[in-house]
Amino acid sequence: MKARVAIPVFPGTNSEEETLRILRDVGLDAEIVHWSRGDRLFQYDAFVLPGGFAYEDRVRAGAIAAHDRMMDAVVDAAIGGKLVLGLCNGAQMLLEAGLVPGTGAIRRPTAAFTHNGPDGKFVCRHVFVKLSVAPERSPITAALAPGALIPAWAAHGEGRLAAPPEHLQEIVDGGHLAFVYTHANGSTDADAIPNQSALGAAALVNVEGNVLAIMPHPERDAWTFNHPDSPEGRAARGNAERMLRPSGGAALFESFAKGLALV
Amino acid sequence: MKTRAIEIRLKIPDNAAYTAMAALERLGVAAERVERAEIWVFEVEDDADGLLVEVMRNESLFNPNKHAARELETPSPRAGEVWIEELGDDPDLRARLGGKGVRGVRSAKRYVGWRLLDRQGKPVTKDVAQNAADVLLCNPAIERALL
Repeated sequence: MKARVAIPVFPGTNSEEETLRILRDVGLDAEIVHWSRGDRLFQYDAFVLPGGFAYEDRVRAGAIAAHDRMMDAVVDAAIGGKLVLGLCNGAQMLLEAGLVPGTGAIRRPTAAFTHNGPDGKFVCRHVFVKLSVAPERSPITAALAPGALIPAWAAHGEGRLAAPPEHLQEIVDGGHLAFVYTHANGSTDADAIPNQSALGAAALVNVEGNVLAIMPHPERDAWTFNHPDSPEGRAARGNAERMLRPSGGAALFESFAKGLALV
Repeated sequence: MKTRAIEIRLKIPDNAAYTAMAALERLGVAAERVERAEIWVFEVEDDADGLLVEVMRNESLFNPNKHAARELETPSPRAGEVWIEELGDDPDLRARLGGKGVRGVRSAKRYVGWRLLDRQGKPVTKDVAQNAADVLLCNPAIERALL
């Protein structure tokens, strides 16, 4: 039986459709759950919080959604060991909810994805992120190769990891730094980081490993037609079926699907 | 040098304040009404005249179609208020003042001012305001709450 994955949608969410498509393409029984049907959320095996601007980012990005009734089910699921993946605004929610890095109390954040450096401007840029923990650190990444490179689109105004020095040290020491920004060859420097994120962080994982918050969008580079100049894209030219196959950023969702069998 | 504070608030309905009020109610904070304003605290030259007018001329800060502005009596939160300051080097601050500036201003700090009122329309107690900051209005990892 396929695992049932909920994609909770808040007022202002905008990435639920591509999230739904990639989850279904990797074999999951995924459904969008509208905020008016939040009472259904307790039925699902896993959750993927999509990107967008929940509640127009009022107060702070992800802050209102983190305290929404919809998030009660997500918090309960996370505490119960179910897999939770947050993409972009979904990642901001997970930090505001205190689920990631999860070193403090629930709904008492110890870090944030906040205004981009250096000038606070929205950035839309193709990026690569590199797995920087052992794959088995999280069921969500367990099927990836060590140091796997995932292509994605950074599309955010508030994606810079920021936290007091002691909490940044906790993130490092606790193995919470799941993915860092790199160039296409896996090397990293300041130019590879689109927003001056602390530690070069693109994604964080919680203490237990079942909750992952990633700022860039792998679901926006998850089919071969999204990267037609890649080796698989060049090989697929003239072949619609191959162009529509999941590839690139799909790797994270394939690993997520396999991880569901581990929990 | 003098420290002076200008409050800029929406004169159209403030949906963010309403959303914050609804969230605070759900979180058990006893506020019947929530108001929000942008607070600018400026270090200005002693002889800087017309600060309010200068701020209102800066279209990065002030839009006369939707904002009202006034100078506060003191550059600190009043009863029932909590001011939220972003920690660290705030790129947004530079962007907001970038290129325009305000004549006579040597430095500026930006706060989001939240004012909480009770059922009688009176400012809430400091404990209630602190609670509102703790549960929603302030992320202590990146912000500081002034009461």
